[in-house]
Amino acid sequence: MKRVFRLEKIFIAQYLKQTMEYKADFFVGVFGVLLNQGLNLVFLKIIFSQIPKLDGWSLQQIIFIYGFALIPKGLDHLFFDNLWAVGQRLVRKGEFDKYLTRPVNPLFHVLVETFQVDAFGELLVGVILLVMTTGTVHWTWVKLLLFILSIPFVTSIYTSLKIGTSAMAFWMKKSGAISYLFYMFNDFARYPVSIFNNVVRWIISFIIPFAFTAFYPASYFLTDKNIVFNLGGLVVISIVLLFISISIWNKGISAYESAGS
Amino acid sequence: MAMIEVSHLQKNFKKTTKAPGLIGAFQSLIHPQYQTFEAVKDLSFEVPQGEILGFIGANGAGKSTTIKMLTGILAPTSGFCRINGKIPQEDRKNYVKDIGVVFGQRTQLWWDLPLQETYSVLKEIYDVPEKEFHKRMDFLNEILDLNEFITSPVRTLSLGQRMRADIAASLLHNPKVLFLDEPTIGLDVSVKDNIRKAIAQINHEEKTTIVLTTHDLDDIELLCNRIFMIDRGSEVFDGTIKELKGQFGRIREVEFELVDSNDGAKLDYSTLPVPVEIRQTGNTVVAKFDDSLVSVPNILKLTLAQVEVKDISVKDADIEEIVRQIFRKEAQEHEQLS
Repeated sequence: MKRVFRLEKIFIAQYLKQTMEYKADFFVGVFGVLLNQGLNLVFLKIIFSQIPKLDGWSLQQIIFIYGFALIPKGLDHLFFDNLWAVGQRLVRKGEFDKYLTRPVNPLFHVLVETFQVDAFGELLVGVILLVMTTGTVHWTWVKLLLFILSIPFVTSIYTSLKIGTSAMAFWMKKSGAISYLFYMFNDFARYPVSIFNNVVRWIISFIIPFAFTAFYPASYFLTDKNIVFNLGGLVVISIVLLFISISIWNKGISAYESAGS
Repeated sequence: MAMIEVSHLQKNFKKTTKAPGLIGAFQSLIHPQYQTFEAVKDLSFEVPQGEILGFIGANGAGKSTTIKMLTGILAPTSGFCRINGKIPQEDRKNYVKDIGVVFGQRTQLWWDLPLQETYSVLKEIYDVPEKEFHKRMDFLNEILDLNEFITSPVRTLSLGQRMRADIAASLLHNPKVLFLDEPTIGLDVSVKDNIRKAIAQINHEEKTTIVLTTHDLDDIELLCNRIFMIDRGSEVFDGTIKELKGQFGRIREVEFELVDSNDGAKLDYSTLPVPVEIRQTGNTVVAKFDDSLVSVPNILKLTLAQVEVKDISVKDADIEEIVRQIFRKEAQEHEQLS
């Protein structure tokens, strides 16, 4: 475990040095993320200027859900963004070979290799939104603790979906589009699931469980209701999904065919 | 016990067969057709410690696939390989500490950073103790002359520098076996020479077992104690260079420098029972023949009787010619079979 943190630290330092090599790219990246999040908020604002409540949820509450969603999403983006490269490039071009010739778990090696500083944009916006709307929640110490504890589980849902879908590249050579398709479902997650029809609700709750990355846990913090489903469900889904995605990944590695050289 | 032990190693790939063009691509999307392709067929061999094995074959013969199984990147369809007593696919993380791998066409260096950063990260990945690391870097620097570019970003290195840097990266953790997949590809003659010297020195000083694939036959002639040649996934030859030459090396070349270049037309070997191939450029004539059927002295005698010669040199059969010959023979046999 000590070694894991040590390597993580070294890889992050390495990535930061790399980022410094391309300063313009870095600033444009952060700016892009901020712009994207800003526009999303403007969009919410416009919706609520037309309708005061969305299925019983106020703008303040929706913004809290939104802010909560950004924290784990940002963490996943910050630490585990290299998984995209697996589906898009590393497997197809045989660059994955490198990870298999090193005495480190290949999944771990892929994960620690990038440290996507753009993600600070998401994290920053997320924190600001949470601070702005913190009044909508009746905080207790226990709740604060649950809030903090829920973040790694939510992050793990994002990461697991990326691990599972990018591992499909081991059979399909390229799976970036699948990862993207799955990932984009997270747009549904920031709205109350009750506004969607049954099919979408079912999909985002149990198939691609993004509802557990934002709405369900956040709705517990907002309403104090259904802790078993909202937080217990999060923990169960998060663990099951991680388990499934790691088994897909491991199966994928033995199916890896490299590329001619 | 052998350092590398390969037993009935086999690798099949499932290939989709596609009709050409966009229509073919669509057809294959809806109705994919598969074909099993045997990239490596039933290979068995052993490599003792400290040997340099030249692994050769034409493009697509299965060299890289074999190397990738030996290094634990690919899982064999059947059979196994055992290196230093370990089966790569069983205990990969532990196994790779024993080996170093260089793929000439790829790099494992951190592209955007100064070269030395790569070494300091690899030091952590392979858990090399600080003291050992410095000693190792001194040694590698001495052999591969890294210091002149160790502070430059990898993307600015020349191909020759990058290759030296990649070889050093593969040796940092003092591996018992080194796999070099085309380490001299695309390099100029003097750089090739440096790299060969470095490889020979490492083998000599550290008794590192080396498996080397290459298309450059000078690499083989200068470095390898033994050659293992494959074609279409199967073994076609296993032995020393001397044996290879003995078995296949019947083609000899004699080079004559003529006094008068017009004499070239006078040369006539039709009295001999076998064909002799003649090539002339300026004053130089090269006669190529099978020396199991006609001896070198015979050719000399006949030539000197016909023309006036300033200089003669007799060339040993070079491997390139032998390899070409073997492949030609294989191709013919293959055609006859199918």
